[in-house]
This record gives sequence, structure tokens and C-alpha cells, in this order.
Amino acid sequence: MSIDLVFFAVSLGLYLVAAAAFVVHLTSTRAQPHRVALVALSAAFALETIALLLRVGTRGLGIMLSFHDQLSLLAWLIVGLYLALQARAPLAVLGALVSPLAFLLTLSSYIVFSGAETLPEGLRTAWLPAHVAPAFLGYAVFALAACVSLVYLVQERQLKAKRRGRLRRLPSLERLDELNYRCVAWGFALFTVGIVTGSLLSKAAWGSFWAWEPVQVVAVLAWLLYALLLQARMLGWRGRRAATLTLVGFALLLISLVALNLGLPHGRALG
Amino acid sequence: MQQDVLIVGLSHRTASLDVREAVAIADERLDDVNRALCDLEGVDEAVLLCTCNRVEVVSTTRDGGGAVARIAAFLRQAQTGRAADLTPHLYNYQGRDAVRHLFRVASSLDSMVVGEPQILGQLKQSYARAASVGATGAVLHRWFHKAFSVAKRVRTETGIAGRAVSVSSAAVELATTIFDRLEGKTAMLIGAGKMGELAARHLLANGVGGLIVTNRTFERAVELARQLNATPVPFEQFPRYLPMADIVIGATAASEAVLGPGPVQEALRERKGRPIFCIDLSVPRNFDPRLNELDNVYLYDVDDLSQVAEGNLGERVREAEKAEDIVTAEVESFLRWLGHLEVVPTIIALRDKVEAIRLGELQKSLNQLKDLGPRERQVLEAMTTAIVNKILHAPLARLKQHDRRTETFYLDATRRLFDLEDPDES
Repeated sequence: MSIDLVFFAVSLGLYLVAAAAFVVHLTSTRAQPHRVALVALSAAFALETIALLLRVGTRGLGIMLSFHDQLSLLAWLIVGLYLALQARAPLAVLGALVSPLAFLLTLSSYIVFSGAETLPEGLRTAWLPAHVAPAFLGYAVFALAACVSLVYLVQERQLKAKRRGRLRRLPSLERLDELNYRCVAWGFALFTVGIVTGSLLSKAAWGSFWAWEPVQVVAVLAWLLYALLLQARMLGWRGRRAATLTLVGFALLLISLVALNLGLPHGRALG
Repeated sequence: MQQDVLIVGLSHRTASLDVREAVAIADERLDDVNRALCDLEGVDEAVLLCTCNRVEVVSTTRDGGGAVARIAAFLRQAQTGRAADLTPHLYNYQGRDAVRHLFRVASSLDSMVVGEPQILGQLKQSYARAASVGATGAVLHRWFHKAFSVAKRVRTETGIAGRAVSVSSAAVELATTIFDRLEGKTAMLIGAGKMGELAARHLLANGVGGLIVTNRTFERAVELARQLNATPVPFEQFPRYLPMADIVIGATAASEAVLGPGPVQEALRERKGRPIFCIDLSVPRNFDPRLNELDNVYLYDVDDLSQVAEGNLGERVREAEKAEDIVTAEVESFLRWLGHLEVVPTIIALRDKVEAIRLGELQKSLNQLKDLGPRERQVLEAMTTAIVNKILHAPLARLKQHDRRTETFYLDATRRLFDLEDPDES
């Protein structure tokens, strides 16, 4: 087992520890578990950073074509964004969702592990990182938006049903809705850049901006959905409906990511 | 006789409101009463704690039973108006029980509403008042400050004060679950009666920025609006102002609903879906229950609010068990400190400590001066002993004076200054 895989394995364990500690924190009044969770999450993030750097160092940018690396890149970005966000405003409940999500993504990246791809001649262009970077950052921000939406739906349900759940410390609806809006807006901007550079990459690699690839279609569908969501907010679609749409959008993104890697012949497809 | 701590008094657990009223000491008499209490025979230090739920004398004594009787008699005499027989209502706690009682009171474990926050402030005030007339000494100083820190520990380490337990505070708690902050939010009060006014005041006190008041009799709305610095609107026109309201309180005496889904939906459209919190305080209800089915509208009636409050109360009771454990641990730590505040053991400890130093240093010197004869050694021995005794003479004389006012102070100071293995680190 190469050293980067060892790092991945350890951070996998740390994600589990963080997830458990967050849940304990949310159901009790003690502050200790929160610290444990943040330390575990930060340690996992640091390990994944090293592991990713090692992968890039040994295999080059070709790793961007491997599903394994895409998934762990996504987990790394999501955790990094969460840690940055929570440094400004602690949101333990979000951590309780982000940690298991990072765990699942890292675990999946393990399962689909394959050696490195060699980068085809056509893709050795600056457009590849220029596409992958904003697109994945967009994915990560949308993932956070989806987590926020999930918390919103739980909190909303409790308020409507007039039951107080066992979870304490859920943020207010107003704050969750506001956070969701910001995440979607930022994600949308990044994702837009990703789609534009993606089509430029497609042009550079295969000579056409648009090829009716299923991946492209799903990505544009998700983009349209998020555009609609931002527009609808102006008309009063906030709260529960906005949260539900955010989740649907993220589901579409996940599908496009999986389709990109599993459902299609290699080499050609790139979202 | 050994210094002991003592609490004599009555509270909501043993006495009804009219008895408590009869015993209550008016604020302007407080200083005299504190002075008079610590002048009682057998009472060294005293603090009178007088709130609407309790009247208690917290004191130190060297004469347990006698002091109890004298304090009880004092309280009996201090009654104003129609004097009641206090005997069945009075309780007294001594030693460990007294320490525990004060810690529980400070932590709001003995309060009528467990976890209510006022009692700690009242306790601090009572102590400061007594201290200002010189009725307190080293023991009460230490005891009360320990009680304050126990209360703080309980507050931060348990969820005892975490949740709202009254209907109006439950409404505020829910409002802050929907809106992040109440600052800048606007409330609308429909029905300017007593109950609505209370709820509106509570919201304003918790930060709500603007208030709109409407009432069937417009004059009443105008009057209340003036008191609360609010905006009155005529009853027929209130739906027009609905879009401005983040929180709507229904408190009219109407026998049928005054607000249905129609106008609220209208308001939501204008608000671009920003949520509305509807609080229905009336029985029969003012708001159509179907409001709760609208997206971004949250409707709570009186029953819902009491259920929230009761649920929170249950949680407080569970948290109170954790608090009792904290209290128990702190009681033991305080008792250890108190147990060391004795004249004879302190003098012995001080002598032992200084003698040990003398012997140690003398031995060191003698080791260096190997060729000294027995005569020189004797002189050195006598000299060091004389130095030690001369230095200790004044402090020991002071400690042996048995002045009940200052004794504990000097004992405590001695133990601290000479670091006489006080088991309590704090």
C-alpha cells in the first residue's frame, strides 16, 4: 500500500471520530466533544492535503481523470470549506453532516481505487485544471448548501410539528436560509466558470464546444436548476422549497459525477 | 467551641405567600437587621437573604442550638403587621446541610422555578449589603463566594437554565428559532388586552424593534401604543399592515377567528416568503389553525406554547440531577477548608512549620562548622530558638485573643500567609 493510501485510511477513521463527536456534542451540553470533533476533522484535512500533494507529485495532473482522486478531492474541498466557514461562525450541526459525507466520499474513493490514468495528449492543456478547479470548488460549495438545506428541513419540520427533537443547538431558520442562499450563489458562480472552461477544454481537446455528452447535459441541467433557484428566491421561493431544490440540484451533480466516471467510455467524457 | 455554619429561615417550600410577606424585611431596614443579627449572642457573622420566595439568615456561630433559637425569636419579632406563628414554617440547617443548602439556593436548585436566574443576583446583593455594615467575616466571605462560583459552574456545566419555562419566554425562544435575532424585527399585536400587552412587552424586552398595535376599540390601541412607543392602526385596516409584521400576536376576546389564511397568504407574497410567526394567546383561538399549513408560517397557540414550556421544564429537572453532583463535591471542599479554621490546630501547624525550618537551617550551618565545640553549638541553638519565638510572639498572641469578629479572619490569613497545607486549593 502506498503512503498516500495510508494517509487516506487514517483520515477515513478520523472522519468517523469527528462525526461521532459532533453527534455527541449536539445531544449534550458539554463542550468537550466539539473540540474533539474539530481537532479530528482538522487532522483528517491535513492528512488528506499531504496525500493529495503526494499523488499530484508522483502521478501528475493525470489524477484528475481518476474517479478515486476526484472523490477524495471533493471530500477534501468540502471539509476545507467547512473548517473555514466554522472558524467564522461555529456551526456544529453542519459538521455533523459534513463529517459523514466526507467519510462516505473518501470510502467510495477507496472502493473505486485504480492506478493513475495517463493523461491523453489532447488533455494536456491548461484548460484542464482551469476547468477542474472551479467545477470542483463549485461542487463542494453546493455540497455545503445541501447539508445546510437538510438541517433547514429538519428544523422546519420540528417547528411545524411543534415537537422539539433531541438535537439541541440547531441554528435558526433565518440563518440557515441565508447561509443556503450564499452557498448557492457562490456555488453557482464557480459552477458557471467551470462549465465555460469545460466547453473551452472540449474545444481544445476535441474541436467542439458542445458534444451532447450525457455528462454535459446533466451538468447543464443542474446549472439551470440552480439558476432557477436563485431567480425564484427573488419571487419568494425561500425556506423549505429552496432547501428542497438545493438538495435536488446536488443529487443531479452527484449523478453527473458518477456518470462521468462509470457510465461512459474513458478519455472522451469530461463535465 | 468549634466554628459552625448555620441557616435559619423559611421559603416557598415551608411557608405560604402571606406568611412570607409577614416576615419579609423592607429594604430600608436591611442594614439595621444585618447589624442586629450579628449582635445576637452566639452569632459571629450574619447575612439576611430576603426575596419574595425566601427569608433566610445565613450565619456562623459557636453555639449551635442557642443561636438557632435566638435567630428564630428575632425573626418572630421582626414581623410586621399581623404576626403569624412561624414555628411550623421555620427550618434550620447546620454544618454540611447548611453549606449544601446555600449552594443549592445559589444554583437555583431550591427555586420555585428551578433554574431561574434571578436568585444569584439577589444573593450577591444580600451579601454585599451585609458586608457593607460589617456583619460578615472570613467564613461568610469564603462561603458566599464559593456559592457564587458553584452557581456559575452549575450554569455553565449543566443545561439547568437553558430553556424557556414560561409561556411568554417559550414564545421568545421559538421566535429566535425562526428568526436569528429579534433586533430589527416587527411585531403586530392584535387585541390590546392585558395578556397581549404582557407578550408584547416580553418581545420588546428581547429586542424586537417595532410594534404595531390594533384593537377593536381604537382608543385602547392608541393608549397602549403610547405606553409601548408603538404604532396604533385601526382594527379594520390591520391586514394592510400584515406584510410588515414578522411576529403576529392574537390576543382579542373575539369568539371566532380574526385572521384566516387569505390575508396571511397575501402578506407572504408581499414579504417575498419571509417567515411569519403567529402566536395565538386567545381562548377561543384568534387565528385559523390552517395558518400552520402555509409555507413559512408557524402558528403556535397557548397549548402549544405550554407544551414547549413543560417539555423544557422536564429537561431542567434532568439537568438538576447533574447539578446536585456538582454541589455535593463543592460542599466537601468547603467543609475541609472550614474544618481547618481552628485556633489550636493552626497554632500547632504554624509552630511545627517554623520549627522545621529552624532545625533544617541550623543543621545545615552545623554541618559546615564541623569544629564547633558543644558550647558554641548550644549558643547557636539558643539563638535560633529565640529568633523564632520573638517573631512568632505577636502573631500567636493575636490568634489566641479569641475575638469572635476577627478570629476567623486571622486564622484564614495565617493559613494563607504561611502556606499551612490548606487542602482546598482555591
